[in-house]
Amino acid sequence: MSMTSIVTTRRGKPIDAWRWIGRIFLVMMLFYTAVPMAWMLLTSIKSGFAAMQLPPQWLPNEPTLASYKKLLDPNNSVGQDFLRFFWNSLFVSTMTTALAVIVAVPAAYAFSRFDFPGRKFLFFAVLLRNMFPAVIFLVPLFILMRLLGLVNTHGSLILTYLTFGLPLAIWLLKGFYDNIPYQLEQAARIDGATRFQAFVLIVMPLSAPGIVATAIYSFIGAWNEYIFAYTFLNKNEQLTLPVGIQRFFSENTTDFPGLMAASFMMSLPVVVLFLLLQRYFVRALTEGAVKH
Amino acid sequence: MAHVVLKSLVKTYGAFAAVNNVSLTVEDGEFVALVGPSGCGKTTTLNLVAGLIPVTSGEITIGDRVVNDVDPKDRNIAMVFQNYALYPQKSVYKNLAFPLQMRRLPRDEIDRKVREAARVLDMTHLLERKPRELSGGQQQRVALGRALVRDPAVFLMDEPLSNLDAKLRVQMRSEIKRFHQDLKATIIYVTHDQLEAVTMADKMAVMNGGYLQQYDSPAQVFAHPVNMFVASFIGSPAMSLIPLEASTVNGQTVLTGAEGWTMTLSPLNARKVQRSTTRKIVLGARHSTIKLAKDASPNAIPAKAYTVEPTGDVTFVQALMSGAVVNISVPPNVAITPDEQIWLEFDQERMHLFDGATELALKVD
Repeated sequence: MSMTSIVTTRRGKPIDAWRWIGRIFLVMMLFYTAVPMAWMLLTSIKSGFAAMQLPPQWLPNEPTLASYKKLLDPNNSVGQDFLRFFWNSLFVSTMTTALAVIVAVPAAYAFSRFDFPGRKFLFFAVLLRNMFPAVIFLVPLFILMRLLGLVNTHGSLILTYLTFGLPLAIWLLKGFYDNIPYQLEQAARIDGATRFQAFVLIVMPLSAPGIVATAIYSFIGAWNEYIFAYTFLNKNEQLTLPVGIQRFFSENTTDFPGLMAASFMMSLPVVVLFLLLQRYFVRALTEGAVKH
Repeated sequence: MAHVVLKSLVKTYGAFAAVNNVSLTVEDGEFVALVGPSGCGKTTTLNLVAGLIPVTSGEITIGDRVVNDVDPKDRNIAMVFQNYALYPQKSVYKNLAFPLQMRRLPRDEIDRKVREAARVLDMTHLLERKPRELSGGQQQRVALGRALVRDPAVFLMDEPLSNLDAKLRVQMRSEIKRFHQDLKATIIYVTHDQLEAVTMADKMAVMNGGYLQQYDSPAQVFAHPVNMFVASFIGSPAMSLIPLEASTVNGQTVLTGAEGWTMTLSPLNARKVQRSTTRKIVLGARHSTIKLAKDASPNAIPAKAYTVEPTGDVTFVQALMSGAVVNISVPPNVAITPDEQIWLEFDQERMHLFDGATELALKVD
């Protein structure tokens, strides 16, 4: 008896230690990411005076939603700008996402299912983009956009985001299609479906989590992008949120609550989308479809 | 139901011929097994019949219609896949209904047929479940149900039992056989398991290297294999193939083993050997046709016991002779120890002789 208990404690010890180290690490990471977020949220409901106090106040004595009201009020210039930036970001991100999905779905399906000349090379070419940091393409793309007459249009951003988002979308989706057994389509075709029907009725519903995940990825990428938007757009009414907030509030540096409220509003869609994304990634895709 | 005719069917991938000049006729209501080792072209042949891959050359007829250029959905076939290929997002009911919906049947007729198929296969209580909530045997049954729900002209089955455990496989084997008898269905059934082919099929098409080796009833294939491949592939344990040298001694045709012993052939077997062009003869004998003796006798040939495998009701002995392994079965009360000297007596009427060069069976006429 005593022997066994000694063995188990000895065996158990290192495992427990690692588990605790892991937990401590996670808690530290949580602090690292959560504290700035909490600070942002708390500052956004302070008055301008409370935000500048020294020593800093953690919890505001008089919480106020004044900053949010100001941002969302279309009757003052701050609200007008913010809502316009928000709308611009929404438009650019949604268009990017829609186009990425529309192109990536058939492209990924083709890469996954068909054998055509140059398939491997093309797929490699698609991934090649991801081997370079995005900034490298800043100047070339700017020149291209100028030649195309797209500088100072949202089109320039949508096109640019697609060059980054599309390869990733194709690559992600191909993985999803690879996991859907080809026999399902063969079965559908024998059961009376055309090739296209087999795709729409059987493959599409199965790859829906993949399509949603891909869409969310594209959206977040476009939503957060700063440097291209900063370079390609000059007119105030066209700016997207990341650039807009930065420009707008650098003229009003003291309004920390306003800046934080805007930041919070900007991160809200991303946080919501990311929570959704997690759910889809965890979901087992074709469990029970075939016996492996 | 309909008959299926394959005429000079060829499927190549680049220089590689997966299916090479295969011709065979499956009669209406017949159960035909395509059997062979992996990579022999049996599944490719089935996929060609299904229309899932295009034919390189040759002709496929289902019923009285050449279907080479007909889409799978219009061939009026049903297929059961090795991995079942059930639609994972659909309930059992919707899996069964899918082929009927695709044919735009009225809703009440779909419901009637689905429930009828579920009743036949005893899975009415499973209709609302998703495939992942079913056991392997139940999934297999749903796959079968999806095939039979719409009275196709031909059933194609691609190793439908290979994912089941041994016990369930035996059970489903008899169920599929029963299903064939009840429906008088035309079935083309692919398997690598020669036992499945022998036990279920009316006819079996033995394939190897893309070529059709032999197409006949299991009994005929078993009794009269056309070449050494078929001889060794069908039957378990495999037929022993012993390379020997033919010669004539005192006007009698004898076979000589590597160890120097001789076997005088019966008149019929002697004629077979005389007609062949080569002296290199391969003797084929199934385990049940070889008699084992512990002492020398005039017709017996010496061999050395190698391994002894008791299975309960029969003991299999592997012996070494003339550089080949010979399988023999003996009653369980016969005690043999490895490396023991034994004598084997071959049944001349039931043994097979093959041309050592062409590997073809020797015949009298």
